[in-house]
Amino acid sequence: MITTDAFERDDIQGLVASGYVHLPRSAFALLTFDASDPRDARTWLRAIARTVTSASGRCERTSLNLALTFTGLQKLALPPATLSTFPVAFAEGMTSARRASILGDDSRVAAPWSWGGEHTPVDALLMVYGVTDDELAAFLARALADAAAHGLAHVVAPLEGRIHEDRNEHFGFADGIAQPVLASQRKHDPLARAGNVVRDGEFVLGYRNEYGAFANAPALGLDGSLGKNGTYLVFRQIEQDVAGLWNFIGSAAQNDPDTQELLAAKIVGRWRSGAPIVTYPGADPDPLELETATDDFVFRDDPHGFACPFGAHIRRANPRDGLRTSNDAAESLRRAARHRLLRRGRSYGARIADPRTADGIERGLHFIAICADIERQFEFVQQTWINNPVFGGLVGEVDPLVGDQSQGDAVMTIPGTLARVRVRGMTSFVTVRGGAYFFLPSLRALAWLGEP
Amino acid sequence: MHRIFTFQTKIRQAKRDTLAVYLERLRVELLSPISDLPFVSLTKIHFVSLVIVPDDRFGDLLVFENNIDGTIDAYIEDLCDLASAALHTIYAMCEGYDASNGFERGEMRAYLRRHLVVPSAGFVGNVGRSVARIRSEHDLRDGLETHLDELRDGDRLGATPDRIYAQLRARVAATSAWALQPKARLSGTEMLKRRLRAAAFVWCGLAALPILLPLGAIFIIVLLAHELRDRSVIDAPDARRMAAITATEDNILQNHFASIVDVKPSRFRRATLRCVLSVTKLAASLSTDGTLSNLDNIHFAHWVLIDGGRRMLFLTNYDGSWENYLDDFIDKASAGLTAIWSNCKLREPYANFPRTWLLVNGGARDERNFKNIARGSQLPTNLWYSAYPTITVPRIESNSAIRDGLATPPHGDGVDAWIQRL
Repeated sequence: MITTDAFERDDIQGLVASGYVHLPRSAFALLTFDASDPRDARTWLRAIARTVTSASGRCERTSLNLALTFTGLQKLALPPATLSTFPVAFAEGMTSARRASILGDDSRVAAPWSWGGEHTPVDALLMVYGVTDDELAAFLARALADAAAHGLAHVVAPLEGRIHEDRNEHFGFADGIAQPVLASQRKHDPLARAGNVVRDGEFVLGYRNEYGAFANAPALGLDGSLGKNGTYLVFRQIEQDVAGLWNFIGSAAQNDPDTQELLAAKIVGRWRSGAPIVTYPGADPDPLELETATDDFVFRDDPHGFACPFGAHIRRANPRDGLRTSNDAAESLRRAARHRLLRRGRSYGARIADPRTADGIERGLHFIAICADIERQFEFVQQTWINNPVFGGLVGEVDPLVGDQSQGDAVMTIPGTLARVRVRGMTSFVTVRGGAYFFLPSLRALAWLGEP
Repeated sequence: MHRIFTFQTKIRQAKRDTLAVYLERLRVELLSPISDLPFVSLTKIHFVSLVIVPDDRFGDLLVFENNIDGTIDAYIEDLCDLASAALHTIYAMCEGYDASNGFERGEMRAYLRRHLVVPSAGFVGNVGRSVARIRSEHDLRDGLETHLDELRDGDRLGATPDRIYAQLRARVAATSAWALQPKARLSGTEMLKRRLRAAAFVWCGLAALPILLPLGAIFIIVLLAHELRDRSVIDAPDARRMAAITATEDNILQNHFASIVDVKPSRFRRATLRCVLSVTKLAASLSTDGTLSNLDNIHFAHWVLIDGGRRMLFLTNYDGSWENYLDDFIDKASAGLTAIWSNCKLREPYANFPRTWLLVNGGARDERNFKNIARGSQLPTNLWYSAYPTITVPRIESNSAIRDGLATPPHGDGVDAWIQRL
């Protein structure tokens, strides 16, 4: 296989290159194929594949991307020899016993998943984006018009997802700030800097990754070369208990407003504005003072965790230069770069009226992440950083914001100049409601998959 | 002092599956004091594993891995006292053990002695610390953490670091006075012995330099010839094998890794591997701070050549997930890894180590293929016991530092640093 490093944007799905911030409305249709006849599903795929948005950078009023699970590929009747070239993690699927134990999903005390679980498997994910609700609805209806005629069925009604005008997620924090920049795109991205540029192969198959090797692609197409320009997409529907979080913070801070904001910032590692607490340890800065590059910071200046606790959400999710087991900052950054994710998540559900009053309405985040190696990137971050009770020299605590604290009486250690404070009695503030691992094929691979 | 060794016995023909079933039963009863193999009562154990190594050429092998405190003789007596039923049942399914008269201590003692295998190279992360010490220092720290919370909750926390230190030390004096006695990690003589051994090695090397230099040149030429001929053929391990391996691979805190590889069938490769393992052994014996090549997640690891140097067994007890362990290895010790494993190959599915040059370059840096080789060489661990499953190597280090700081009070900034450990 001849492989070049030139980024083939016309063949790569648009979601890899863009979070479609200009298209704040979105819907995610979770579909199954009719297992009895792969030809039906292929016909549908062939038609829809022609409308998939590529990464070529044209801003339109709508976008559409399409991803498939392993069961979806099976139902398209790919030969076993081809299927066996997909990695084990993807083939097993997010809810297999093995993956669930890596993700910490097996120990969570939670209701059955509404989709993606044992009885609600998904074959295909259709992601559509639009500027307004009306345009989105019309576009989705068109995209799905002949799905039923070809044996496709909805696992659940299409999920809605949006970017709120203030860009905040439901807990009230600015979201999606830390994003890696693909090395080939560094010239086009004003936010690119030494600490966030990551080689393309970490996010797209067939390119060189951070180990200098070509990211393994599955052998699709007649000559096995169509795996290139594809990648993997992790989708998790995560319900957020907004009132649970703020009531906990309120009681832990004895309802003192400043202490509440500080404790919340210690849990997240950022103030509500997104300003990193490492750079602004005292208070959320005036918006005018806040530098635009809220992602440009390191943990080196805070070696004891006095500003940003070791267990804070952003210090776990991306330890940057602060990995304790590294010899120096450069090595830590190099290692952390092998575990980055392109985050394409969107909020769902109505905003809460009063963050301290539970209203019984489900809201949360459709966590969507893109990576070339599910095991080394997404699962690693979950297992070795987020849910690791001994992360960063801590003991017996997990990510205070998104970790599994359902076992009760979880703690978070907040280092202080005199002696640390242990915040006790924490509970889980998020619940996974559904999820699956998807393959996001290249445009040419999609066309090939749809061939009769 | 720690001892690392295995008992290696050939499994009787057609007994492999029965033995696996019995080991599975012991696994289910792992923490039961009335199990045939009551690990919880065997207080000298750090880590133990039992692994079946199936092989149709050499016969199926049972590897009983032991990482313990004290002497081997005392440990064998402990086993005979407390685990005679398990030993008898297990070894009745192995060759060379006479089970006809029921359990006889003398027979078992002699049998274990005959099948004792010491490592070609071994590493101990928790140098100089017994199981009892690791556990009691961990409890000591827990107690301090709780007391610190109590002081803060009761608004009695001292206003200066010195004051807090005094409060905590007074608590320890009242509840666990033993912790105020200093305890060196290794005795002075032991440290001296290790350094002398290393110095002797280096001096012998320097003295032999006139011979070693030309030999080295020849070695490099022969090595390059071998490396050019090597072909790297690597397949991802098949899903069924992986399922068997990962079924008992625990997830977050500690794990066990057992692997077997064939040494490449050339005298040159065998000799090279022996040399590399000797250097590894020396390097490991000089490490007394819990790290090996900057890796701080290994409790015990050992390499052992078996079948006259035709196969190599690797056994390790480590912290964290498998992915993290391998990534760490690749980042920090790829030269050492490559120097060892490039002399080896997998038999089935046929696979060679990723391409190398000059023994230490390339190889393990080919991340995905290296991980595939590692998985391909891995054996399911049938039975595994850890005496402190929630305590990591850095935590053991930190617990000891806290105890040291109580025994020998720090000054100035040292007091701050001590409190920040909590």
